[in-house]
Amino acid sequence: MPLSWALLASLLLAVAGYLIGRSRAYATAGSDIRNLHSRPTYHGASVALLTLTPAIIVMIVASLLRMAKTLSPEAAGLVGLFALAAAIAGLGWGITRIGAGYQARNVVERIVLGVLIFCSSIAILTTAGIVLSLIFETGHFFQKYNWLGFFFGTEWTPRFQGNSALGILPLLWGTLYISVIALLVAVPIGMFAAIYMSEYASKRVRGIAKPAIEILAGIPTIVYGLFALITVGPMLRDYFAQPLGLGNSGSSVLTAGLVMGIMLIPFVSSLSDDIINAVPQSMRDGALGLGSTPSETIRQVVLPAALPGVVGAVLLAASRAIGETMIVVLGAGAAARLGLNPFEAMTTITVKIVSQLTGDNDFAAPETLVAFALGLTLFVITLGLNIVALYIVRKYREQYE
Amino acid sequence: MYDINRAESAVTQQDIKISAKDVQVYYGDKHAIKDVNVEILDKTVTAFIGPSGCGKSTFLRCINRMNDTIPIARIEGKIALDGEDIYDRRVDPVQLRAKVGMVFQKPNPFPKSIYDNVAYGPRIHGLSRNKAELDEIVEKSLRGAALWNEVKDRLNEPGTGLSGGQQQRLCIARAVATAPEVLLMDEPCSALDPIATGQVEELIDQLRSEYSVVIVTHSMQQAARVSQKTAFFHLGNLVEYGETDDIFTKPQDSRTEAYISGRIG
Repeated sequence: MPLSWALLASLLLAVAGYLIGRSRAYATAGSDIRNLHSRPTYHGASVALLTLTPAIIVMIVASLLRMAKTLSPEAAGLVGLFALAAAIAGLGWGITRIGAGYQARNVVERIVLGVLIFCSSIAILTTAGIVLSLIFETGHFFQKYNWLGFFFGTEWTPRFQGNSALGILPLLWGTLYISVIALLVAVPIGMFAAIYMSEYASKRVRGIAKPAIEILAGIPTIVYGLFALITVGPMLRDYFAQPLGLGNSGSSVLTAGLVMGIMLIPFVSSLSDDIINAVPQSMRDGALGLGSTPSETIRQVVLPAALPGVVGAVLLAASRAIGETMIVVLGAGAAARLGLNPFEAMTTITVKIVSQLTGDNDFAAPETLVAFALGLTLFVITLGLNIVALYIVRKYREQYE
Repeated sequence: MYDINRAESAVTQQDIKISAKDVQVYYGDKHAIKDVNVEILDKTVTAFIGPSGCGKSTFLRCINRMNDTIPIARIEGKIALDGEDIYDRRVDPVQLRAKVGMVFQKPNPFPKSIYDNVAYGPRIHGLSRNKAELDEIVEKSLRGAALWNEVKDRLNEPGTGLSGGQQQRLCIARAVATAPEVLLMDEPCSALDPIATGQVEELIDQLRSEYSVVIVTHSMQQAARVSQKTAFFHLGNLVEYGETDDIFTKPQDSRTEAYISGRIG
């Protein structure tokens, strides 16, 4: 019996169990419903959950065993039968337990709690799984390539015939350079937009402007990439780079940084807007009541109170900038280079991960495995940023609450 | 010394500080204040009493134009401070609020140190030329608010870490530091326990020697304790205004009598 049929049958059994359980509960209650410990719906739900849970547990265990290669794929039919048997057994057991004194409500609550815990552990375990797989492959990479050369190498020239130079520094430099430019664009513009919208704008303006800015957040980053490629890049080249004699490249760090900054504006402004709005009105009244102007109130009272949240928002934006790929591919090019000229093409870690893993992959070659080492480095950097963000937010929140 | 001040102010200091003529306030379609005429004296504590929603806080907020921050509020009539119309187009509400300070219902210290809270007003108005002068203003204001002895060793700790009563006295010190001429207090003791209330009331009585104080209160006992003049508001009207003793002992209007004897409100 295929698994899907077994699952469907268990579901039907659960529905039947719910109806049977409920009517049996009514029957045992007799004339006075208050004789029951739990309401009849809880009795029904307890039977349904006792039917479904064993079947699902059987299926999960079976798929785990198959992943661990102790169970052959041909055994699926057997697993289905097992699951169905477990469902029937659960159904029978659930029905026999129904009685006036049976605490069905507590059973249901406990199973619901179990489901909630299960779901949150999936979220955590997945993260752990991702990190473990990265670490595993990174280990392979460092067996084949010297870690000193990776972390301190200033040259990035992968050759698929071997003998590559795989230094992370040019990529790390490109990533940080582009992210810093993006933040220099996004943070002031986003913050000022947020201040205008939360402190000065009338209800009507706010009602139009806020959604308009947030539309920016819904644009896929590849579309921003196109904007960088056909508009911003050539414009910067024709009006700034060439007249200043700084380069002829259409793709440049500045292009990617500017466009990425535009992408991050709604992110920064909408987070900051929420945070500034959360500063109590009494603070503003206090400052205005002492004769401060609106801008003094914002600078000296509202922003300091909102600061921890704003710093958190900026660091979250930084994490996004570091992880962004498409805008860089189309805006900044793919040349790994260590340089200061913002009109030159450079590239980032994420772009190189993509290029090392597209095409024919040989998962024994360091040129492919380096992608995992790059990924792990990126993960560690963003993790560090997020930890710092959380630390700052917590520290100052305690002080001001 | 404090008794001498009181005697003096009762006899000689009867200048009119604020006068309101035919003041109307509308919140959207709601007519919140109707035909209010009142003359508030200098160096006097004036109490506004009345049931909830009677407009006493609304009228208080008209005196330093805090209602300007509410977009739907509209004010008609004339309110003059020292004879000058505060709703005149040439008057900058920011400057007005420096002269007419306000203390709010809930203590609202800024998320700064105790020192910076008090120094806030003097700094934005440039009242001190150097650090020593600023230190002096801060100390004087905190002493004036009867808070100095409790906080002098921890001026750099956040103002939000003080107890509720201390926070409210900090807010009063902050208002005093700006050197206002009038101090408006919107139910300053409603979030405080009886001991802190007693301290703030004592402070209000001392402030009278230098400022004109207007206090909105829900507590008739408090009005009787701290004020020399009392105004009773009811449904947006100023029903009765006079010497506090007269209002509480021989009210002229039947509504005032009903309120102070607890039958309405």
